[in-house]
Amino acid sequence: MNDTRSLPMPMNIALRSLLALALAAGLAAPLWAADAPSAAAASASAAVPGAAAASDAATVPGGAAAGGEGTATRSLDEQIQDLKKDVVDLNKDLFMLEEELLFPANTQVAVFVSMDVGDFFALDSVSLKIDSHEVSNYLYTPREVTALLKGGVQRLYVGNLRSGQHELIALFNGKGPHERAYRRAASVRFEKGVGAKYLELKITDHQRAQQPEFEIKDWE
Amino acid sequence: MRLKYRAIRICGLALCVLGVTTGLRAAMPTGAASGSVGHAAPDFALPAALGNNVRLSEYRGQPVILSFWSSRCGLCARQLVALDRYYGTYRSSGLIVLAVSVDDDAQHAQDYARAHVTAFPLLLDQAKTVSRAYGIGRLPTTVLIDRGGVVRFLHSDDGAGDESYVAQIRALLDDKFGGL
Repeated sequence: MNDTRSLPMPMNIALRSLLALALAAGLAAPLWAADAPSAAAASASAAVPGAAAASDAATVPGGAAAGGEGTATRSLDEQIQDLKKDVVDLNKDLFMLEEELLFPANTQVAVFVSMDVGDFFALDSVSLKIDSHEVSNYLYTPREVTALLKGGVQRLYVGNLRSGQHELIALFNGKGPHERAYRRAASVRFEKGVGAKYLELKITDHQRAQQPEFEIKDWE
Repeated sequence: MRLKYRAIRICGLALCVLGVTTGLRAAMPTGAASGSVGHAAPDFALPAALGNNVRLSEYRGQPVILSFWSSRCGLCARQLVALDRYYGTYRSSGLIVLAVSVDDDAQHAQDYARAHVTAFPLLLDQAKTVSRAYGIGRLPTTVLIDRGGVVRFLHSDDGAGDESYVAQIRALLDDKFGGL
């Protein structure tokens, strides 16, 4: 692990891709290896006298051979599906490894966005500043807003920060009550410790004030 | 003598490393090549002159015509008219047309959008981030993207009335590139 960390990033990714390919090939090998003996057995059985019965069965309509072929195809399909699943799992593991490598837990800061109700605010964009540096400026499409309104939580930013005091400023742009342009900011000072830091930008409706509310929640 | 051998070995090793990294860089898509023909179309999200924000990746699975234009370019106006015609014809087949304005002043693009109504969205790229990502050198430039999000054709002219455009749009709609 330490060796790969010291490598330049493109090399690292390439190495992991190679590893993935090698593992995928390794997973593929048993599949064909498993097929090979059965094929060999089939050819061998043709040579033995008992195999005559099998060849007779093949001539019978709807016989055992047809059934066997179907079973073989099904088992091959299953093996292919298993292989695909393994590749997906491997890809997931690699993604997690990459995340761990790029954003180690001791320096990681992640900012999430969630939205509730949305009667008084139509989200257009969110601009994010950490310690006066703009780290993200995200434009939302209607589809993304719909996903947020349905309960989705979006990871807006993930980055690295050293331990200590930091300030996060989020600037929300959109349309407020009565379709008017609406621009509000919310800020929070937070302490980055040894572990990963998660912050959530929450947009909710304040029914009594008939206004949207912007809150930054610090996930402990 | 031993030092000489060591120097040769180090040089050899350095050359190997250089070769491998150069090869890797060549194999990986770079920012400059990403918007060119045969490469993945760079994703973007832009505000529309009139209407909602648009993100290119949301149209994955549909062929997209991306046209770069300016309100001060006469050829671009002709191009947009031709694209509007194509959009009217092939919209029901899934064709998407997005026109990206590279005007410095968004107001000019908005005025144009109000004066010349098009059925497709006219997007604003004031910061020129998208036009830079696609390496746009002249206007109008039209990029044809297949269903898999790969740039298949690029035209730096106003020849949207040509038959070749129709053939290319049909090829994209027929998914002749196996984009998906």
